[in-house]
Amino acid sequence: MTSQITTGASAIAGAPRSRRLGELAFIGVIIVFSVVALVMTGFIREPVGSSNVLGARVVPYAVTGLMLLSSLAAFVAVLRGDVGAPDEGEDVDTEARTSWKTVIFLALAFASLMVVIPIAGWPAAVVVLFTGASMALGSSSWWKALLLGLGLGVLTQLLFGNLLGLSLPPFGAILPGLIESSGVFGG
Amino acid sequence: MDSLQLLMDGFATALQPQYLLFAFVGVLLGTAVGVLPGIGPAMTVALLLPLTYTLDVTSAIIMFAGIYYGGMYGGSTTSILLNTPGESASIVTALEGNKMARMGRATAALATAAIGSFIAGTIATVLLTLFAPFIADFAVTLGPADYFALMIVAFLTVGALLGASPIRGIVSLSIGLFLGLIGTDTLTGQARFTFSIPNLGDGIDVVIVAVGLFAVGEALYVGSRLRSGALPIIPVSGNWRSWMKKSDWKRSWKPWLRGTAIGFPIGAIPAGGADVATFLSYATEKRLAKDPYRQQFGKGAIEGVAGPEAANNAAAAGVLVPLLTLGLPTTATAAIIISAFQTYGIRPGPLLFDSQPALVWALIASLYIGNVVLIILNLPLVGMWAKVLQIPRPYLYAGILVFAGLGAYAANFTIFDIGVLLLLGVIGFFMRRHGYPVSPMVVGAILGPMAEEQLRKAMAISQGDALYLVHSPISIVIYSAMVLIIVLGVWLKRRQARFEAAMSDIDTATIRTVDEEIAQQLRQR
Repeated sequence: MTSQITTGASAIAGAPRSRRLGELAFIGVIIVFSVVALVMTGFIREPVGSSNVLGARVVPYAVTGLMLLSSLAAFVAVLRGDVGAPDEGEDVDTEARTSWKTVIFLALAFASLMVVIPIAGWPAAVVVLFTGASMALGSSSWWKALLLGLGLGVLTQLLFGNLLGLSLPPFGAILPGLIESSGVFGG
Repeated sequence: MDSLQLLMDGFATALQPQYLLFAFVGVLLGTAVGVLPGIGPAMTVALLLPLTYTLDVTSAIIMFAGIYYGGMYGGSTTSILLNTPGESASIVTALEGNKMARMGRATAALATAAIGSFIAGTIATVLLTLFAPFIADFAVTLGPADYFALMIVAFLTVGALLGASPIRGIVSLSIGLFLGLIGTDTLTGQARFTFSIPNLGDGIDVVIVAVGLFAVGEALYVGSRLRSGALPIIPVSGNWRSWMKKSDWKRSWKPWLRGTAIGFPIGAIPAGGADVATFLSYATEKRLAKDPYRQQFGKGAIEGVAGPEAANNAAAAGVLVPLLTLGLPTTATAAIIISAFQTYGIRPGPLLFDSQPALVWALIASLYIGNVVLIILNLPLVGMWAKVLQIPRPYLYAGILVFAGLGAYAANFTIFDIGVLLLLGVIGFFMRRHGYPVSPMVVGAILGPMAEEQLRKAMAISQGDALYLVHSPISIVIYSAMVLIIVLGVWLKRRQARFEAAMSDIDTATIRTVDEEIAQQLRQR
């Protein structure tokens, strides 16, 4: 959202600054998390009198320690001007401004799976995810996305659920008699 | 010639009609998904994994081999045919291949890539067949301390060499190692970092880590800055039999062989995977090129496609050497393969050749078959692959998300995993955005628990004496080799970076004129 303030010529000078702050924030979260994990390591229970020479805490201490040290080093590197270059890709426009709206809508569309699968089953969940995600990504027509989503949902259900035998719930809890399918954990 | 006999048995299995069909379907799907823009080999393998969940072990492995080779190959079609100026440096094949295509020689570039992949893949599979049994025999004699040393090597090389910035690689690796720790400790039965969530008791499936980082993370990242407007796709024309001229063959065969010679060893030792191999092959070809062709480099030299493509596929087979004989994954793709094997109930490692020879040799035989299927499919079907590239991007990335969701849900059939997947996807998004490589994280997540197991075994043997870790001659050799590999790898990375920096500002003007010519020709049609 803040990136919208900078416009025109100032955007050229402002871009590295916002990138730098963004990376500092990201690595800052990792540092905080590393500290939390390091503290949590001390609370891992080590059974008294266990015959292991190397207990359950040793490797976690090493790993969280490495996580903390490396993220601190990365933080310092960013402060000293070594800002990470964003990934490139066939469909990535490296000069485009980040569209946070797209990211949030995509994440929401994906999160909808968690709600729709138990309630309405796999095919319906695919319809919601596919339509939502392609609309977020700028699909030209919503009904085309909806139809494609429906096709994909039914197809994956038939291929993976029926043909390959993965236990994908076809309907979910809204249809009577299939309520228990929302509580299915594995086959 | 014991292994020859076993290989023949393997062929006898893999050539049965139903297994042949699985190999065929695997290669077809692997290539189709690998061709899609934005999908690398690791994502291909991760996304297609659910297909193999319910198959029997042999079918699953054979299909998986096809997916692996298909996915490794598919990317080259994308980089040759997609007109994406600016990012070509990230895929070496595109350096020359894309320029060849823009000059109307797309078919020759595709053909040299396909034939080169076939030759390199076959030679490398022969090398795998010859070496793997010996390495497995040797690996049986290794103790836990030696294994731990090997894993430390893999950690450091993967962390420091995959991606542009070593410190960012190590951050990524350490997060992966942390993810590997989540769950119940196998030795003491204590919960570690489960945040009192019962679903985390079994740990986080590596497939979910890979799908989250690669598929969901990529979709979010591409979505955040999606290129607007359609990318022009370079048309493919003519009969595929006449794609390569005599001079093309003459210029290609040596780079194919050299690429194989470079790719296989680099794939087999953990030194950065296929990326480094393709770059090294490209640099070699450029230096060795004779005069009339030398100046063509940077403007569409066929050697620059033939060599790196061969190196890429040879490295793909090379990666399987430590994977099958030591159980050691050295790339993200290999990490996913290991976790796939674990779901099939197979534990790759030195004992695999003894305990399940039929399975291993069926797998190796299906690698040969996969290579043949690859070339049979790729030359005639290239027109179809070019169409795949035209899928509208909103539908493509929405589809990727659907299959990512399917992959996560099918792992354990809980919606909890979908939440974990989304969280990992968001992490993957920020990592991409700020230049943190995601592959070390995947490797760390699978290799971390293995390394801990070996370390604790070693400590149990030595009664807690840390010096035991460096007591055997082999472990000392391994640690010394590590220093060498890292120095060499960092030097290679530096060269690659300098090389790419010089590459990017060479001849955009010439490319632009060629582009305009192509556009004109298209209009005239």
